[in-house]
Amino acid sequence: MSPSSSHPPNALLASVFSLLVPGAGQLYLRKRARGLAVLAGVLVLAYLINWADTNFKIEATVNWLWFVFVLFWLWNVFDAYRLARGQTTLNRLGLLLAIVIVYVIGWQVTDINPDRLVTRFKDVQVVFRALVYPDLFTQAGGSWQPSENFGDIIGKIVDRPAPDLLVQLGLAQKGATVPTPVLGKMAETIAIGLMATVLAIIFAIPLSFFAAHNIMSHVPGGTFIYYAMRTFLNIVRSVDTIIWGLIIVVWVGLGSFAGTLALTIHSIAALGKLYSEEVEHIDPGPIEAITATGANLLQIIRYAVIPQIVPPFLAYTLLRWDINMRMATVVGFVAGGGIGFFVVETIRKGGYEQYAAALWAVAIVIILVDYVSAKWRERILAGEVKVSAEAPKPFYTSLRALFWLALGLAVFILCWQLAEIDLRKLFEPAPTFVKVVRDFVAIDVSPDVLDTVLKQMLITIFQALLATTLGGLVAVPFSFLAARNLMGGNALSLVLYYLARGVLNVLRSIEALLYVAIFVFWVGIGPFAGMLALAITTFALIGKLFSEAIENIDPGPLEAIAATGANALQMIVYAILPQIIPPFISYLIYQWDINIRIATIVGFAGGGGVGLLLNTYFGMLQYHKAGTVVAMIVVVVAAMDLASAKIRERMV
Amino acid sequence: MLKVENLTKVYPNGTVALREVGFEVQDGEFLAVIGLSGSGKSTLMRCINRLIEPTSGRIIWDDTDLTALSPAEMRKMRRQIGMVFQQFNLVKRTSVMTNVLSGRLGYVSPYQSLFNYFSPADHARALRNLERLGLRDKAYVRADSLSGGQQQRVGIARALMQEPKLILADEPVASLDPVLSHSILKYLEQMNKEDGITVLCSLHFLDLVHRYSTRAIGLKEGRIVFQGLPQEIDDAQFKTIFGQEAERVTIL
Repeated sequence: MSPSSSHPPNALLASVFSLLVPGAGQLYLRKRARGLAVLAGVLVLAYLINWADTNFKIEATVNWLWFVFVLFWLWNVFDAYRLARGQTTLNRLGLLLAIVIVYVIGWQVTDINPDRLVTRFKDVQVVFRALVYPDLFTQAGGSWQPSENFGDIIGKIVDRPAPDLLVQLGLAQKGATVPTPVLGKMAETIAIGLMATVLAIIFAIPLSFFAAHNIMSHVPGGTFIYYAMRTFLNIVRSVDTIIWGLIIVVWVGLGSFAGTLALTIHSIAALGKLYSEEVEHIDPGPIEAITATGANLLQIIRYAVIPQIVPPFLAYTLLRWDINMRMATVVGFVAGGGIGFFVVETIRKGGYEQYAAALWAVAIVIILVDYVSAKWRERILAGEVKVSAEAPKPFYTSLRALFWLALGLAVFILCWQLAEIDLRKLFEPAPTFVKVVRDFVAIDVSPDVLDTVLKQMLITIFQALLATTLGGLVAVPFSFLAARNLMGGNALSLVLYYLARGVLNVLRSIEALLYVAIFVFWVGIGPFAGMLALAITTFALIGKLFSEAIENIDPGPLEAIAATGANALQMIVYAILPQIIPPFISYLIYQWDINIRIATIVGFAGGGGVGLLLNTYFGMLQYHKAGTVVAMIVVVVAAMDLASAKIRERMV
Repeated sequence: MLKVENLTKVYPNGTVALREVGFEVQDGEFLAVIGLSGSGKSTLMRCINRLIEPTSGRIIWDDTDLTALSPAEMRKMRRQIGMVFQQFNLVKRTSVMTNVLSGRLGYVSPYQSLFNYFSPADHARALRNLERLGLRDKAYVRADSLSGGQQQRVGIARALMQEPKLILADEPVASLDPVLSHSILKYLEQMNKEDGITVLCSLHFLDLVHRYSTRAIGLKEGRIVFQGLPQEIDDAQFKTIFGQEAERVTIL
């Protein structure tokens, strides 16, 4: 029975409905979305409290939680009552009660112990000291010299027997030694990132056409191929590079090549998606115009399609190169190769001075890559507008172009070697590989395995939630310091601005996985360490996005509010906050989505969560169970992706 | 001579864009096509060079039935029919020169053109056409650095590269400031008078029709509701074509 339009809805009836079944009263009042949300909220909260109670020792708080839960239930009755009488409801109260429950559970299950940050500070002091004095140089005999660690990370010059070529050229004696440069782990990392990008382009371009709706809708059976390709790319993309690394290692063995391949696979999916979206955004006008000149299909592609997609493709590739360089610093954790592998080894040996030096090397390289990639992208998208009456000369007659071409080729060959690319290995997988893949695909769905995986997955989600909250909270005040339009009024504020920007840039250049070790030293192995590492990267990224949101404030409303005679506080409340709160919340939700992906891997460095479980299963060769974990990750990441996109869409 | 007979176009979604349209255009005419947006002007233009496949009817161009041609034969035929677009349809991120040269694509060897090779003769031709449209000094800048009026002139230069006998101009001045409309239409008039190219041009403003066209047809809801000399469009005719609420406006 539902209220007809002529009779006012019965408020008492609505309340009773909601008391018996949460959300029923709201449904009776034809508020479908609201009723279902309340019902889902009650079910999820009850499940979470019960789950936390059975899996963790939370006797101290569990009764408290049930008490808040009852309050939430009562709020739902109250909500139905007010709704029926057409009065304003207290949305925020319900939301607050739900949030309290979620955060208290999150606090418990991610094993948060703030006291350890204080009590164990002395344990981490050595790491901080090492960060201030990284092991890159030693003072020997009064002069500073690169340390041995410098050689391992950056590179060194060692005496090696002269290569045959030099002997034949008569530049060296047979058997003599010549100083030979040997590049370090950082060069290997750069090579991995570069080669993965190059290899990914080759595969992503053709795939992207199959994933472009505007092209496939003209091909018989194309719509099916389009959906299949889109799904495939999304699944491959939702599995983190690190997890791909685990699988690839079984295929080609530990080493830089495995890292490169893992990165390549993930990049193909990511680039394929970006490219295909660019293909879908092609302007049909030029295609029409070129068709009208009597051109054939190939000519239409060459003159109307390719010129449109090359600049955005290049820009996306540069962006991906930036991401790949970051990932290349951590892929070694599981796949071997690069600075990630070096970090794992130094941590195992307790060499925090070497670890600290590696962090600095990573920061410097990534900041440089970030800068180059951003500047280059800017140039590509803006396009150089040359004004000259003369035809430009073909590139092969320009000495400069030839120089760059030769340099590019040399770098390519060097990187090919550094990344240990060996295509033969692809066709000679380890004998166990087929069995491993078969096991991996036939996932273990026995209840106890599902239970364990789900438990770690929930911890991972809570980790991401708490890290986003913590990082976001710290970022809010900090972002004002890093906003150019607020700072720079005087010398002091300008100094603060550059300092804030610098801190954000340095922190942002290092992947969460590399931070975990610091917090493992500090608060011990477990989800708390992983959460703190995630909070640092969240703070750095969110701080940057927030400060840009502040910089992009429209000055119009500010002017208008000032013109009414408002004071500074009123201007903040009426002109600034309304402009920055929606983007802030939107960024936070997006960041939570990203953090869940990263939280799935912090376990590989001792950060707890589902990554730890995956590492264990792989270590114990239990591939059925590892398959379960990966499947769960794919589902959760895809669901979060969808949910966060929907929520952000509604907010804008 | 261009003869359109009983041309009908029904889109897959059921929209009837053209109903039994028929008219003739003598060589060397400047035919204006007028009508409201959505009256079928663009569809008509695109049916003539078969960028849009007509549902039924015939289009006879110099004794050839265009609707009966195979795709390969139609591509050859398109070389004689230049087209100018409302949105210019230039490839924005490439140079003006490449845009103009692309008008030659129907003539050159497909394989050479894939490597952006065009003969010195074609280059010279492109520069001549740009010169004619007053854009010689812009040959090597990116197309998107030009103003709207300049971009449309590049569009005309591209059409000229085809050495067309017929130019289809689909609202060539609708995206431009009124002051630039005359400049663009004067170029089309010049092509029409000096080179003897037949021009089919859809236009919005009646005074532009009076000023430039030798004959006009009026379309309303896919039907021809007027055929005759521009001067014959009186108030009654005007209301038939544009509806009772329409008011005459003049530009410059």
